[in-house]
Formats: sequence, C-alpha cells, structure tokens
Amino acid sequence: MRRWRLSLLLITTLGLTACSEPPQVYRAKLFTLGTLVDVSVLHQDEATAQQAVEVVETELAVINTQWHAWRDSPLTEINRQLANGKTVMIDAATYRFIQQAQSLAANSNQLFNPAIGSLVALWGFHSDERPEGAPPTKDKIDTLLKQRPSMTNITLTESTLTSNNPAAQFDFGAFGKGYAIDQAIERLKASGIENAIVNAGGDLRAIGSKGEHPWRIGVRHPTASGVIASIETSGDESVFTSGNYERFFDFDGKRYHHIIDPRSGYPANDAISVTVIHQNAATADAAATALFIAGTKQWPQIAQQMDIDEVMLIDENLTIYMTTKMAQRIHIEIDAAQIEIIGDGA
Amino acid sequence: MTRADYYVVLFAALLLPYLYLTQWTGDEAGITASIMNGDKTTQVSLAHDHTLEIDGALGTSIIEIEEGKIHFAASPCLGKQCIHSGWLQHAGEFAACLPNRISIAVLGEEPRFDSINF
Repeated sequence: MRRWRLSLLLITTLGLTACSEPPQVYRAKLFTLGTLVDVSVLHQDEATAQQAVEVVETELAVINTQWHAWRDSPLTEINRQLANGKTVMIDAATYRFIQQAQSLAANSNQLFNPAIGSLVALWGFHSDERPEGAPPTKDKIDTLLKQRPSMTNITLTESTLTSNNPAAQFDFGAFGKGYAIDQAIERLKASGIENAIVNAGGDLRAIGSKGEHPWRIGVRHPTASGVIASIETSGDESVFTSGNYERFFDFDGKRYHHIIDPRSGYPANDAISVTVIHQNAATADAAATALFIAGTKQWPQIAQQMDIDEVMLIDENLTIYMTTKMAQRIHIEIDAAQIEIIGDGA
Repeated sequence: MTRADYYVVLFAALLLPYLYLTQWTGDEAGITASIMNGDKTTQVSLAHDHTLEIDGALGTSIIEIEEGKIHFAASPCLGKQCIHSGWLQHAGEFAACLPNRISIAVLGEEPRFDSINF
C-alpha cells in the first residue's frame, strides 16, 4: 500500500511539473524609428505582453513623428523657426527632451553636438538612404564649421526656445533613439512588465531578468561576423554601441561613416566602435557618440565628465580599451585580443 | 516485482516516447531562420542550400542559404548594409534591409544571447 502511495505521489508530481509552465518570452519586431525595433517581454500571460507591446509601438510612432530630422515634423518646424531667428513655443515634454540633450552636450565638451544638423545633412545622412555621390567639399564643410553651431547657442525656458546662431539646426540622431527606448521601457513598466528588453537597431535597455538567469547580450564584432564580447545585464541597464559600420558610404575606395566630429566636420576616425553601459538609454546613446568622437586619447576624460564608468572602445587595430568596471563584467569572446584597461572612467 | 513496480515501469515506458516527441529538439540551434517581410513572418530551414527571392517594399531581395548559414546576397537598397552584415549562423543573429522592410534572423531552441548589441 505504501508503495502504491509512493507511485501515485511520483506520477502526481510529474503531472504538476508538466502543468506549471514558466513565463515565456514574447517577442515582437516593429519597423519604426527608421530601424527594426525588437521587443522581448517575459510574462506569464501572452495577451498582457502583447498589449504592452502595442502601447510601446504607439509611443515609438509618436516619438518618430515628433523628432524626425528630415521628414516634415515638429522638429523640422523648430529648425525652420530657429534658422529665421524666431522664438519657438515649446511644451513640457520638448523642454525636458532638449534640456537633457543640452546637459549631455555640455558634459561631453560638445562632442555630442545635436546642433550640427546642417553638417549631417551636408554629408547626405538626412535621408533614409544616402544618395550615391562624392562627400561634401572642404569649402562647404569649413563654411559651416566657421559658424560653430552648438547647444551653447540655444537658450531654453520651460516654454520657449531661442538661438543666437541660425546655423544651429537640431539633429537628435545620437540621442533620440535612447530617449525613445527610455520612453518604451517606462510604458512597459506602467503596463506591469518587469522583465523585458527593448532593442532598437542594436541599441537596447534591459530590465529585470529572463527568469532565474540574467539577460545575456552579445556585442557584435565591429569588423567580422559574430560577437566580440558578451554582457549579462543586472536590474535596469542600457547597452549602446556607436560604430563606423552602422551608416556609411564608399567613394573612390574610401569609406565615410555617419559619426561626424563637430571639431573637424569629417567622420571621426580614431575608434571603430564604442560600447557604453548606463542605466539611462538616452545618456548611453549620447555618451557612445561622444566617446567615439573623443577617440583613444580623450575618451577617459569625457567619460568621467559624463559620469560614465562602463566603457569599451575598439580601435582599427582591434585593440580594446576598457574602464576597470567594464573589464570586471564583460566577457571578451575573441582570442588574442589586445586589451588595455584605462583607469576607472568616472 | 510487485504490482506497484509494474505500474511504475509501465508509466515510465509510456512517458519516454511522449517526452521524446514533445521535448526532443536535437541540436537544432541555428538550423532555422525567420524571414520578416513587412508584417509577414515565415520560417525557413537552413539544412538545405537554396536561394530565395523575396519581393519587399522597394524591390526584390535575394537571400542565400548555404551550409547552415543565411545572408542577403542582393537587395535593391543603396547602402547595402544588409549585405555587409554577412553570413548569419548562430541563433539570435539577424540582419535587415530596412528600405525593403525585410529582415532575417537565425532561430534556435535556446539562443546563446537574448539580444545583440551593435
């Protein structure tokens, strides 16, 4: 009789184990923000996850419409008014957005400079696909550079925006995606989602975990297929990489990418990729661009000023430079990598 | 062998094929891929070499499958970044031709990474 009870217990336990399904990862891919956005949500109930993703999709569409730099949008209207020396009336959300960008620009010594929209347009990157053709002439670049557009030209109050430099034209390409991801994560949290990843074109913010395990992130190799490093996120973290392989064109055997150094007017050419980990996606976005432009010599100083303590920079020789904090947690996946640990960052 | 032992053995014998059919995935990591064309997603096997021509928003993208790998061989976009993404073979890897609204992603039962940063 005792053996019968044991057998019954075994069968019941197996049955119960089979019935208690763990939460599943619900994945959705959205074409928005000019890229492919991948939303992963870990939740017991697929309908709840799906509903949360729909809220995110709506939010991202609104942000895309608001801040698009070359299609007719509220941002292009702001740029028109600033170019004409007019005072622009703004709402609270616009104020917060531009204030955050202005603060990040100041901390980066204006290496993150969202006021160089005219320069980015001159290089042909104000289009979904850059038309084929030569890079801009040095004269045209110099003419724009002499006007020194930067966020210091912008005076911001809670309801108005003015500029003392008509050449200052906004392009939030190095910040807007991070801002959008932050908003998406806030919407997910408000929908009761505690474990998720929002990945927009390769840049992401992850919250919570994948059940008992942390989210595992692969960092793509900048010059070959596969990953160069991996990271396990903890709590609420953003992982952003700026690389010279994201948007570029080739002309006469030379490659020109989209990360323009506001000091020279040309694509920054010291680093080939910079990866930043920070809680806030918008900050990580701006920092990855600023540190890419700062290059192998200046990045530790700029990282410290921007309060970024987890950085990995790779140069064209595939030498990897890292802060101590980044080195303690990142796993390098390639052999024979030359690695230099540089100070403590922030 | 008691009657109880007999039932346990019988139960285990029945459970095995059930588990095999429902749980066994073999070494499937990376042998299928999903192709997203606009809002429509289809899955393809990477086990056999073949070429697919997919009509997207801009024109026809050519996707090649060879030796368990998949890549964009041609696309009507100007930047050709989908082609520069190269061959994909590990679960979780993906490439997209945004102008043509076509993306490919390698699937696997348990991809090594939950998301790829680049």
